[in-house]
Amino acid sequence: MTLVALFTTAIELTSAQRFLLMLPLCLSLAVVYKTIRLEDVRAIPAASLILSATIVLAMCAIAVGLWAVFSIMV
Amino acid sequence: MALVPPEPATNPAAVAYAPRNALLTGPIAGFLAWLVPGLGHIYLGHRVRGVVCLVTITVTFWTGVAIGGVQATVDPHERSFWFMAQICTGGNTLAAYGLHRVVEPQLAAGQRPVAALAHWLSSEVGVHYTGVAGLLNLLVILDALGRADAPSPKRTRRDHPPGAPRP
Repeated sequence: MTLVALFTTAIELTSAQRFLLMLPLCLSLAVVYKTIRLEDVRAIPAASLILSATIVLAMCAIAVGLWAVFSIMV
Repeated sequence: MALVPPEPATNPAAVAYAPRNALLTGPIAGFLAWLVPGLGHIYLGHRVRGVVCLVTITVTFWTGVAIGGVQATVDPHERSFWFMAQICTGGNTLAAYGLHRVVEPQLAAGQRPVAALAHWLSSEVGVHYTGVAGLLNLLVILDALGRADAPSPKRTRRDHPPGAPRP
């Protein structure tokens, strides 16, 4: 019953927690992508970490760029 | 050029490496990959790849359900487009929707705990997790279908044992 309650009861999140939860989602995305792309399975962990870091950094860069554009225009 | 001598038919390894029905391999692998993420790869002999996909996609999906609650996350009526993405993880989504249907009568009877009413941030994060898990499994299904046409790793090793000259 406790196990069922884990999936029927929502967790209350703050805005900061919401953004932090982006990190594991990026990691899982990178792991699956690299798993189906790489022929050598031993290379998957390192490649996944690099790809997830790249995704996060790229999103941060886009956010900073959009913030700069917004600051200039407004 | 020296060719690798064919293995006798009585060799158990040769029986294990016997080619599958080419017409059925793709559809079976695709269906298994839809039903359980990674199972199509395991069926095709890519065990490590399949297990990694199975663990990653299943954990991502159920993490999303745990964050948003099954009522707010897997809802084909309120979130029909997201449900189309979620249903790509067939077995997981069907199980979650079954749980949704079990919980729904409690909602109608007013027995739903207050905490089950998901905060909008939680439900959005949960929907994103489950939707992304579904779309990732779509990639895995397509990859399994593509690999079904290629020789399996077992057959490759049989065809080219270590040290043997390649044709």
